[in-house]
Amino acid sequence: MHIQVSNLSFGYDYRTVLKNITFSLESGDFLVVVGNNGSGKSTLVKCILGINPVPDKKIFLDNTDINDFKKWIKIGYVPQKMDDFNYEFPISVNEIMHVSKHSKVSEKEKLELFDRMGILELQNENINSLSGGQLQRVFIARAMINKPEVLILDEPTIGVDTDNVNRFYRIINELNSEGVTIVLITHSLQPGKANFNHVMHLHEGKAEFTSVSDMPDGGDV
Amino acid sequence: MDAVVLTSFLRALIEREFMQFALITGILVGLLAPIIGSFVVIKRLSLIADTLSHFSLAGLSIGLFLLNILRLPIGDPLYIGMVFAVIGALLIEVLRSYYKNYKEISMPIVISLGTALSALFISLSGGFNTEIYNYLFGSILTVGRNFVYIIAITTFVILTLITIFYKQIVIISFDETYARLLGIRVNLFQFFTTIFLGIVVSLSIETVGVLLVSSLMIIPVAAAMKIGRSFKTTLMIAILFSEVSVILGLWLSFRLGFPSGATIVLFNITILVAVVVLRKLFTRRNLEEKQEEPVTVK
Repeated sequence: MHIQVSNLSFGYDYRTVLKNITFSLESGDFLVVVGNNGSGKSTLVKCILGINPVPDKKIFLDNTDINDFKKWIKIGYVPQKMDDFNYEFPISVNEIMHVSKHSKVSEKEKLELFDRMGILELQNENINSLSGGQLQRVFIARAMINKPEVLILDEPTIGVDTDNVNRFYRIINELNSEGVTIVLITHSLQPGKANFNHVMHLHEGKAEFTSVSDMPDGGDV
Repeated sequence: MDAVVLTSFLRALIEREFMQFALITGILVGLLAPIIGSFVVIKRLSLIADTLSHFSLAGLSIGLFLLNILRLPIGDPLYIGMVFAVIGALLIEVLRSYYKNYKEISMPIVISLGTALSALFISLSGGFNTEIYNYLFGSILTVGRNFVYIIAITTFVILTLITIFYKQIVIISFDETYARLLGIRVNLFQFFTTIFLGIVVSLSIETVGVLLVSSLMIIPVAAAMKIGRSFKTTLMIAILFSEVSVILGLWLSFRLGFPSGATIVLFNITILVAVVVLRKLFTRRNLEEKQEEPVTVK
């Protein structure tokens, strides 16, 4: 999927959060968006996901203006851990997948995805009994259940132990090598773990870009 | 003695129409209230039922004023109560979108307006009387055939819609952002959910009254969520607790002459307390058993 963002500015009330952001991503690209708290990372994600309303001709997804875009199923999203999901009310892993998946996804495909994410044995568990790492894999599986072309991950490694962080990067690197476009939002780059090819540094709403080919160490930041 | 009372309860059910209407109404409300209540609890809107029942009371009071003082042929004030519950629900949605960072403010505003209008029209209608008492504390034993038809149709419509749109409703309840991403028209679903919530609240008033409606929706769910491992099992357990409370409440109120609404709610509370205590005991015993297991070093 082709993502084109042109001169995007966005703000809440009287505060401008994003200032003239322009970039484009091709299928199979891996973009890491880095910045401190309040730099506008999550706001940018919400604009790309159509959650924050943006004017026409600012964001194009597959050459379609975001305000006319309908194929949202092509985009998988892993939110920040404590973002909007209600973790305290009982719901099983299987139920999350059932309500999230498109009817065309077969039971066999679902179980294969569970196996790949290492959550096969957790499918009947209540989500509030899962660890941070397990929960994160459940949410990646949920984002992947409809076989998206783009995977957007918002601060996915916060509060996750080293083993699970390593496992996480192995999974998203694999998905990227299979052609899935990855947009990873993080406040700190993990040296040598992610196979990204573009880095966007957000600072006070302004973006600076680095292409991995321009980096002296080939992206091992 | 108990067998005699049980037999007389069953005989009353067979012989007396009002008992049959009460039982059917109780079972249908006992089914609907925890289903709607579970979606309300997930969205942390437990106070909404209380707010809507108070706003519905304003409609009921205005209905009584139009019927008894102005002698207008408006039919059952219940219909005006239902309209007010729906208006109250929509008002809450409007206020929640206006005060985005202080969404809970919407509840006290609507509850205050409802209570003030109720007090005003109760006073204009001649003050406190049996009808007002029944609205406040419920009067399931006085429901008529028409009410049974209304609640049966409402139950059928709501259960059909929930069955058809189950996936969408659950995903919206748990994760609104993700629901939007899946292309679900969240605002449209929320609009209809709010309307149905208003209708169920106003119909439940006949069973347990304005002051106890929220307990019928929230308490069975509060008990079930401590046991359920999935959303479906939690829903089933909540319905079971609710129906047990309704049937036992009706039976005990028949036996001892207690107000039926209050008795049903007290059974709900008893089940909640039992679940909390048993769960604590069970957790403690599990922990003790685990501590007794010897630690083996490989």
